[in-house]
Amino acid sequence: MQKLDRQFIKKVRRRDRIATRIISAGGLLVIASVIAILLLIVKVTLPLFLPATATPLPEMPGAQRLAEELAVGIDDYQEVAYTVDRQGNFAFHSLASGELIEKIPAPAGKEGLTVKAVELHRNNIYTLLWSDHSVSAASVSFRLFFAEDGRRSLLPELEVLADLPAAAVGPTAALAAAVRTDGDGTTTLVALLADQSFQIVRETTRTDLFDNETRETTSFRLAEELPGRITTFAVDEAGETLYAGTENGSLLRWELNGQGEARRTDNVVATSDNQAVTALAMVFGDISVAVGDAGGNLATWSRVTTGGEEAQTKKLRKIHSLAAHQSAVTAILPSRRSKTLVSLDAGGTVHLDHMTSESHLLAVQGRLNRFGISGRDNSLIGLGADGRLAAWHIDNPHPEVSLKTLFGKVWYESYDEPAHVWQSSAGNDDFEPKLSIVPLLFGTIKGTLYAMLFAVPLAVFGAVYTSQFATLSFRKAIKPMVEIMASVPSVVIGFLIALWLAPIIERAIVTVILACLLLPLLFFLLTNSLRPLYKTPALQSRVGGYEFLLLIPLLLLTVALANAMAPTLESLLFGGSFRQWLFDEAGMRYDQRNSIIIAFGLGIAVIPLIFSITEDAISNIPPSLAAASLALGASRWQTIWRVVLPSASPGIFAAIMIGLGRCVGETMIVLMATGNTPIMDWSIFNGMRTLSANIAVEIPEAPHGGTLYRVLFLCATLLFALTFVLNTGAEMIRERLRKKYGRY
Amino acid sequence: MLNKKFWRQGEPFVWATGLALSLILCLTLSLLFVVLANGIAVFWPREVRLATLSDGGGSLLGEIVREEEIPGSGQKRLQFKIGNRDLYGLDFRWVDATKIAELSRPEQAYVLERLEFGNFYGFLKELSLPGLALPPGEEDLPAALAAIGPQQREVARLDSAIAAVNRRVEVLDRRLASLGHRKEADSPAAVALRGEKERLGKEFALLVDELGRRRLELLRNEAVFLAADGREKSIALANIVRAYQPNTMGLFAKGRYYLLRLHELFFAEPREANTEGGLFPAIFGTVLLIFLMSILSFPLGVLAGIYLREYAREGCLVKMVRIAVNNLAGIPSIVYGIFGLGFFVYGIGGGIDQLFFPERLPTPTFGTGGILWASLTLGLLTVPVVIVATEEALGAIPPGIREGSQALAATRFQTLTKILLPMASPGILTGFILAMARAAGEVAPLMITGVVKLAPALPLDSTFPYLHLDRKFMHLGFHIYDIGFQSPNVEAAKPMVYVTTLLLIVIVLLMTSTAIHLRNRMRARYAVSDV
Repeated sequence: MQKLDRQFIKKVRRRDRIATRIISAGGLLVIASVIAILLLIVKVTLPLFLPATATPLPEMPGAQRLAEELAVGIDDYQEVAYTVDRQGNFAFHSLASGELIEKIPAPAGKEGLTVKAVELHRNNIYTLLWSDHSVSAASVSFRLFFAEDGRRSLLPELEVLADLPAAAVGPTAALAAAVRTDGDGTTTLVALLADQSFQIVRETTRTDLFDNETRETTSFRLAEELPGRITTFAVDEAGETLYAGTENGSLLRWELNGQGEARRTDNVVATSDNQAVTALAMVFGDISVAVGDAGGNLATWSRVTTGGEEAQTKKLRKIHSLAAHQSAVTAILPSRRSKTLVSLDAGGTVHLDHMTSESHLLAVQGRLNRFGISGRDNSLIGLGADGRLAAWHIDNPHPEVSLKTLFGKVWYESYDEPAHVWQSSAGNDDFEPKLSIVPLLFGTIKGTLYAMLFAVPLAVFGAVYTSQFATLSFRKAIKPMVEIMASVPSVVIGFLIALWLAPIIERAIVTVILACLLLPLLFFLLTNSLRPLYKTPALQSRVGGYEFLLLIPLLLLTVALANAMAPTLESLLFGGSFRQWLFDEAGMRYDQRNSIIIAFGLGIAVIPLIFSITEDAISNIPPSLAAASLALGASRWQTIWRVVLPSASPGIFAAIMIGLGRCVGETMIVLMATGNTPIMDWSIFNGMRTLSANIAVEIPEAPHGGTLYRVLFLCATLLFALTFVLNTGAEMIRERLRKKYGRY
Repeated sequence: MLNKKFWRQGEPFVWATGLALSLILCLTLSLLFVVLANGIAVFWPREVRLATLSDGGGSLLGEIVREEEIPGSGQKRLQFKIGNRDLYGLDFRWVDATKIAELSRPEQAYVLERLEFGNFYGFLKELSLPGLALPPGEEDLPAALAAIGPQQREVARLDSAIAAVNRRVEVLDRRLASLGHRKEADSPAAVALRGEKERLGKEFALLVDELGRRRLELLRNEAVFLAADGREKSIALANIVRAYQPNTMGLFAKGRYYLLRLHELFFAEPREANTEGGLFPAIFGTVLLIFLMSILSFPLGVLAGIYLREYAREGCLVKMVRIAVNNLAGIPSIVYGIFGLGFFVYGIGGGIDQLFFPERLPTPTFGTGGILWASLTLGLLTVPVVIVATEEALGAIPPGIREGSQALAATRFQTLTKILLPMASPGILTGFILAMARAAGEVAPLMITGVVKLAPALPLDSTFPYLHLDRKFMHLGFHIYDIGFQSPNVEAAKPMVYVTTLLLIVIVLLMTSTAIHLRNRMRARYAVSDV
């Protein structure tokens, strides 16, 4: 018997130990993982703020001395490097083994000629100016090729885009030339001649229905008086805009049209101290031009509307200044995917800068003479002064985002001034996403503020009445009712206010405003007329606890009165339509889904929450306090106002903070009823877009791991932090209150 | 003097607080009333009116939906639901009351609910029933509709047979792709699979032929209707879901119709971009979601709650954890949603796809939203609720009970399982119900973790492995958002939104009030044991 007992006890003890371990481990694990999991959100946003890196790739074995080469380039997979030599040959080498894959000669008929100048457009279109002043253009591309055995290899291809004879280029010797071709058969050549004029040749090839080609050529000279010798020029993708920089720092802009005319639109001094402009390039999207000068400064210029309402003109202005080089900028290569600029200086250092964010991403020291980038911006290759090729892997996933672009005013292209803008997508390919969080924060704050203005007085006063003045049976009934109200799904509230209430309020906006004005007036009249009531204590005690029921007719009366008066008032004061009047007189638009609707919807959602916590806080104040106050002859309102409320104020404050937290994070109501336009306008007749709705709207279109995806995670992190601070604060205050009054 | 005293005593302020309370009550009650009034009446058949317009505007037939005053004129105007979308293009039409010469209620007016183009309002002209052998003299619409029933069921049977063949082909394809991925595309197993697939292909063609034939036969039975403007419209009987003559229906018939529609609501699939038909997939999705969420969230939440209250040593750390957990309950649901997307869908789901379903990539299997990820996300969202409820329920048990149990030499585990948990069970149950109510009403996190407007298949069916956790699903709350805000015809969708809203509110409020009732009972129990 005793033995059995011991065994039994052993078993029980063992079970207890095991249970303790499992429960402790499990409990800790659950709690730790819940918290750690939320920290993972932060992890997703972190890459946004990591700097760009350049990792040197292993040096190409068997590198010859290549100091004479005119241009270098690299493919996206970092497998093939190529060079352009003085004879116009494109030589492709494997980066890993150094062996020559292919050597493609320049277009036929150039034997014995040498290349005088090379112009690089995009990252792979080369315009070669030959010693006999003929011009050819060719583009380099790589084709992915899978062999039978599954091995993949990259095949270099060279496509000749244009080949113009010397006669077409011009009567005098050319110093530099650039060719642009569009997909529809138009080729534009811009050549800078030795006499400081431009020769512009445009060839249009049209193919009609029967495959007959007709070729049209217009050619003209652009010889104007210039402020100084031209040092460099840039032409846009369509061949319709020409920029030129001079030795004394002037930046000139012409518009070239199809009829053989050029119109000079701008002539500005683009550098300080009249330093020479040494490099020009069109930024991706062809709206801005990047200007590098002899002093190493790098800036982008763009045309901006200036002048008053009447005399609006567009003028070139410096929009962004980027990090300066140590020595003169010799070449600028724009990225083909973003507003990133890669620039080289005379000292051989390469800079990576992002135009819009003005952030300096990277500097690569390499004593380079020539450089090239791959189409996806992920590789950089350079030819050093010592004739060696050096290549880098560039890791630069989110160049367009910095704290400044997220929270500061940013001057975007085609905008006339810096602004906070959220616009994540558009129809065109060269669109630049504008990801400023400020309009969303503004929307969140605006919605929350109006909602709290509506909800806090109602909820707090309602709770004061319920806990202090209402009858006990009513109190017992109302508490669960409020809790049930708190559980109404927000999608229901959102649907009701957006589809039912918004059209009603739109039709009866004057009634609403009028009711808001009438209610205090009628209430004042009513309370004043109640004075006789308080001369008869018997009646008073009868009424006590049921005031709110007596006030419901007053509410109904107010609404009815306002409704009856509104049409007359609207036609008298606002000429028949308040919305039209608002637009004509105050310049305000009336949106159907506006802040009034939101304040109402969010208010309905948070009132039960604030009400319930406030009611708890007030009820937990020991009744002895109130009793003492009443015993000293204070009236019931004086007791509440001077004794109970001050004691309960931390609890009420906590209730408001929890309500705030709920408002900030509420998604469905604002998603359905705000209209979701990210504007910054305090008007109560307009909508907004909040952080939470923004996440819901944009995340389905955000590619996994992309910039937008991470910025949306940042929005979530902000929301998380905001509500966490609010809730923790509230919790700590409540904890203190609980301790103070020693009750739950 | 009196005035001053009156204000100093502050009675007006008391009334002001009362005013706040009555405002709250009026607002919430009016919102509830709107839902109730609009939701309950949707299925009640409304009488159809024939309005003859003056000044040669023809006539129109439809239900009067709304009546309002034209601003500034004192005149009334009526909104008719005229249906017949295929004839008129619009379902609704406003008519000024002064323009109506005559408003009658024709007895023979028919309302048809159709499979496409919404309702039809009109008069029956003739029936053409070549495929049915109805006894002469009994050739009326209800009899014809009843008579084509067996044929319709046959078509439906063929439809599902074709779907079954399709599913089997899909499975074969998947196995073939998997073999191909392992470079065994020429193995005997693969050859056998290809043979099987060919055989199924033939079966499929036969079934499709048969179905086409039956369909054509079915569609030959038509009824010709006259619209109010005199246009004729012949409608295949197979496209008519229901036909009734509301102006002749009595209370009983109307009640029967109401119940029929209610039955359809609960057990039928949605039609017409979700604006007609039933809610069955959405109800099913919601219930399954809550069920899966509960499996995950309840045990973990209770475990953590027990640990925090009974096992962890009170200290600064536990206090911080407690605040953190309280806090997690207040984190916006969209934050949980975006976390679910980043961690569950792309992180874990993407990993599962890489490991187990590489042959299907880049088409994701688990690496896209689905019911598993949605319920995990909701589980995470509700774990804090369960932890807090468990903790509070355990904390409300007087310490004397624990001491008593341990004084009788029970171990901590025995005390927990035999005494504390049974005593705390109503409180914990309250937490469960509150968590379920919250899960039922949440929409924002689901929108980014796998809810869709129309799921092709239920996540639970009769094909292996029966429970398809990777499938997308439908949900009542999202249904409201979808048909209310993303439907092409919001006005026509409104009745359905109100019904869905009413249903969701009823579910959530029932759960919450049960929880509150339970809690109050539990409180009463401890009030006794406390003494």
